[in-house]
Amino acid sequence: MTLFRVAEPQEERAQRLEREFQAVLDAAVDAVVLFDHEGRIELLNHAGERMFGYNEEDVIGLKVNILLPEPYRSQHDDYLRQYIEAGEPRIIGIGRELLAKRRDGSEFSAELAIGRVQGTDPPRFVGFIRDVTVRRNAEEALRRSEAQLTIAQEIANLGNYVVHLDGKFEDYWSPHLYKVLGRRYGEHYVGVYDYLEPMVHPADRVRWQQARADLNEGTRSTDIEYRIVHPDGSLRYVHHIAQITRSPEGRALRQVGTLHDITDRRRAEDEARQMQDRIAHFGRISTMGEMAAGIAHEVNQPLTAIATYAQACQRLIASGAAEEGDIRAALEQISAQALRAGEVIRRLRGFVKNREVRRELVEANRLLEDVQTLAQTDARHHGVRFILVPAPSLPPVQADAVQIQQVILNLVRNSIDAMQETPEPLREIVLRTQLDPEGDIEFMVADRGPGMDESIAEELFNPFFTTKPGGTGLGLSISRSIVRAHGGRLWCGANPGGGARFFFTLPAVPAPAGS
Amino acid sequence: MRGNSNNSRPTIFIVDDDAAVRDALKLLLRSVGQAVETFGSGQEFLDAYSEDRAGCLVLDIRMPGMSGLELQQKLNERHSILPIIFITGHGDVPMAVEAMQAGAVDFIQKPFRDQDLIDRINQALEKDNNNRAALGERNDIRRRLETLTPREREVLDLVVHGKANKVIAGDLKLSQRTVEIHRARVMEKMQASSLAHLVRMVLEVGQA
Repeated sequence: MTLFRVAEPQEERAQRLEREFQAVLDAAVDAVVLFDHEGRIELLNHAGERMFGYNEEDVIGLKVNILLPEPYRSQHDDYLRQYIEAGEPRIIGIGRELLAKRRDGSEFSAELAIGRVQGTDPPRFVGFIRDVTVRRNAEEALRRSEAQLTIAQEIANLGNYVVHLDGKFEDYWSPHLYKVLGRRYGEHYVGVYDYLEPMVHPADRVRWQQARADLNEGTRSTDIEYRIVHPDGSLRYVHHIAQITRSPEGRALRQVGTLHDITDRRRAEDEARQMQDRIAHFGRISTMGEMAAGIAHEVNQPLTAIATYAQACQRLIASGAAEEGDIRAALEQISAQALRAGEVIRRLRGFVKNREVRRELVEANRLLEDVQTLAQTDARHHGVRFILVPAPSLPPVQADAVQIQQVILNLVRNSIDAMQETPEPLREIVLRTQLDPEGDIEFMVADRGPGMDESIAEELFNPFFTTKPGGTGLGLSISRSIVRAHGGRLWCGANPGGGARFFFTLPAVPAPAGS
Repeated sequence: MRGNSNNSRPTIFIVDDDAAVRDALKLLLRSVGQAVETFGSGQEFLDAYSEDRAGCLVLDIRMPGMSGLELQQKLNERHSILPIIFITGHGDVPMAVEAMQAGAVDFIQKPFRDQDLIDRINQALEKDNNNRAALGERNDIRRRLETLTPREREVLDLVVHGKANKVIAGDLKLSQRTVEIHRARVMEKMQASSLAHLVRMVLEVGQA
């Protein structure tokens, strides 16, 4: 490297400068290339050797434009000529991005800056070349991830925002946030909450304002679902999550949040719930149809007794031979039988009414007793006896009593049907409750019918599977979905004494402490 | 208390598994002066009832264990003549039809007017009375038939088949006079007032 020709007042100083210059060149991250007015390379530093894959000695004297691919290669000669002839600084000083070419022919993104070495004539130039591939890749990756985020937000129907509460930075709304709020992209806004407030559905506003106030008061985050009305009048459900970042002194610095349009999900959930209600109602109705004769009998019995007692009383009084004791006993019976009929109707009404699922705290044993009452007539007509084995002091369950009664009733009806061929003295249904090892309440309905083949034990629960003429095959399937919706399980097995046993569980509600 | 059915007061037997209905019916029928006995099941009734007791049976068609129809069948097997009135619900028409085909006299749907039930019971009692009277008469005829000698029995059979004394004498290789004597003895023993009466009595007991 014998290129640095300086007037030499002092040999030592020159040597030191040369060493320092060499160190600068060697340490430089960018490629450094020196070339003359004809573009012939005079120097290429280590970084340049690495960047382009040449040894310095290979390129000394070659045209500098070998480092560029077309069209930059031809342009470079022109720029250099224009500079020298017309002093037009097309390439000098300014950094610009272009493609550079390695020895092996591969190209890469580079930033190029060229300067004239002061005091040279004909001029000599120094070029700095920076490989910007990594930066370009990062920029590309960023663009791509932003695009993906936008797509993801579109798919999820979710927008996000950053609000700088100290005013130091500009707020950010993601493009999709505008769509979630039913606005045009880039429309001027005044702040998420001011923007949202008039849109919140009146029925949800109090709750919404409370969440906003909580955030202002110092809650770290909020998570709330509410309805908003778009400018076009359409109603949307949104799920809003927001977090506040605070300074060490507790001052709110910024709020970061997402608004998720969950309208479709909510509608699907509503539809699913309505469907479930309809199926449950259908199940009740069809069970009802089967039970209609039995129920009519159940109501007719007390009505017959009442009418007959009353008519007997009239006749006794008319005959003048009435004994007060007879009349009093008859009146007591009339009143008792009227209450009995009313009780049947009360249970019946609760059973058929189509209503929303309602969970309440209920006693497991009471469910069994109610079902026994409902099924009593049916059972008696088939010569079937009930044996109730209620576990004492069970915790209550959180359940829709009507639905669970339907499940038990369905199992009981299956058991009655299964015992048609059983000798009458053996026709028993055991209704049992107990606490299982997990602390759940386990219900059992056991019969002494023919039992079931292991191979169909699981098939029983498939919709439309039936072994009964005229059966819908929906009973067990609906029962299982009801039990699952309550967080329990429904299964069946063989009765050790012969017959089948059906079990289901419901999670127990822990008793409050001290009770 | 008289032991023999034909002269004793008819009893209304009520079989219903529902205690309140049973009790109410008993009070109603007592109020119109009827003798009533109640039973909670078909088996209880079968165990207690003897055929010679007059009256009628008011029977609930739907019962656990032995149903009303099953009780009816068991009574038929015993050749019971006790008239049965079935009490049915609204949904029990097919069962009521079956009951009527098996010989029930009537059925009444719950709940019912007292007068309707009382009317039906009265009709059933009348029918039972007639049945028992007819049955009594048949028994008398059978007893009288048993007093005939074999020869008289032969003459009777030919008489009721419309044969003249001369023909009978020929068939039996007797003199016409002897046939006339036998015939007079038959009329006397059978307490027949005329030939027509005699024929009717023999047809009544199915011995023709």
